[in-house]
Amino acid sequence: MIASFIKKTLLIILVSYLDYKISYGLSKIYVILPLTFLAYTFFMYKSDYNVGPLESFVTGLFVDLITNSYFGHNAILFCFASYLINTYSNTFKLFSYFQICIFFGASATAYIGFSQIILNLYNFSYLTLFLSGIFNIIFCVLVAILSVYFPSISTRKI
Amino acid sequence: MARNTPTPGQKITYFVFIVLGISILYIDINSKIFSSVKNNFQSFKISSSFVIKNITVNPLKEFVELMSSKQKLLDENTMLRKKLEDSYLRNFLITKENTFYTDRTKLVKSIKDDLVTESFNFAKLTHIDPNIFNCCDRHRMYIEILDKKNESFKEAMVFNLNGIIGQIVANGSQNEVILLTDVKSSIPIKNSRGDFFCNAMGSGKANLISCSYSQLVWINEHKIGDSFYSSGLGGIYPKDIKLGELTSIDIIDSSVTKLEIELVASPLDTNFFGVIKI
Repeated sequence: MIASFIKKTLLIILVSYLDYKISYGLSKIYVILPLTFLAYTFFMYKSDYNVGPLESFVTGLFVDLITNSYFGHNAILFCFASYLINTYSNTFKLFSYFQICIFFGASATAYIGFSQIILNLYNFSYLTLFLSGIFNIIFCVLVAILSVYFPSISTRKI
Repeated sequence: MARNTPTPGQKITYFVFIVLGISILYIDINSKIFSSVKNNFQSFKISSSFVIKNITVNPLKEFVELMSSKQKLLDENTMLRKKLEDSYLRNFLITKENTFYTDRTKLVKSIKDDLVTESFNFAKLTHIDPNIFNCCDRHRMYIEILDKKNESFKEAMVFNLNGIIGQIVANGSQNEVILLTDVKSSIPIKNSRGDFFCNAMGSGKANLISCSYSQLVWINEHKIGDSFYSSGLGGIYPKDIKLGELTSIDIIDSSVTKLEIELVASPLDTNFFGVIKI
């Protein structure tokens, strides 16, 4: 339990660091890739158990803390993502990989939209949102392809 | 394994947490209530990253920097030495104008002569055996010509800062040079007055060449210390380059006299050479 908690925390810190590092480069091409959010939603999707609201809320608060964002920003969105994934966890099994990728890409786009409204309202850019949506969907498809062709990376297909 | 979808009770929990999140977000945006927490965390993050860097990355970085700066200095030193030698050789006609050629007019002519500049190359020493050079008959060395194209360097003159060393006898990735002191080597020479000519052969001894002539043909008188120059008659070596000074006169019989000349240039002096093909 503790080992799992430490592992998750470290992974979140690592992914958040990666997110921070790539964000500047991607912003030059009007793209935002919410890697932390995608990683956590992927974890919730992959998990054998339902990630509850408390866990996702606390994780979101932790991400807010380490990314120096407003408290509650990631907490709300992680909580909402958790709700959606838990609600449709069985329905996902009927979806194709591509549909799931579109779902995750669209979720990431929604995350970007909400984040922009909270953090960057006066410079809200539909171009960024649109390009990020396409980029995120392509990114999810690439990750899905990766897990199909390299099953050792992911024991469970997306 | 099937996962349970949220029950109505769980949905209420989600709703409560989302409302709680919105409240926290609203408070955070409109007040500075969480700023102390954030500031403390940021200071912790900065100080811990500083400590971790100091313990792990910095010592390694310093070590690498130390090694690279040493290597850089060594490389710079090698490069400067090479450039210096290069510069000496490139200006050899000027730097050695008083000793390399007998007169300055020849020097100026050579500098202006396109033939010399076009066929001028640098070479670096790849192999010479100093033991064999000091003991035996076969005096050879191997050089690598720098910036060469596909031209042949056979019969090109090899020299260093002091004078002529020999000529190239074999092409390849490394060029074989027969030294003037090799017993199979021959160079046409003349005295400083220009009234005595002879083919000097390698003696097989370090820095010595010898010249045998008939006193019946050449009646000139030589004395120890006389300077000898290349006569340019062989078509390989340029004219009027100082080769060395007379060290011994050996009258073998009534008709044959042997002169021994100590060369001014030794292949062991430098490891950087110039190659001129005439």
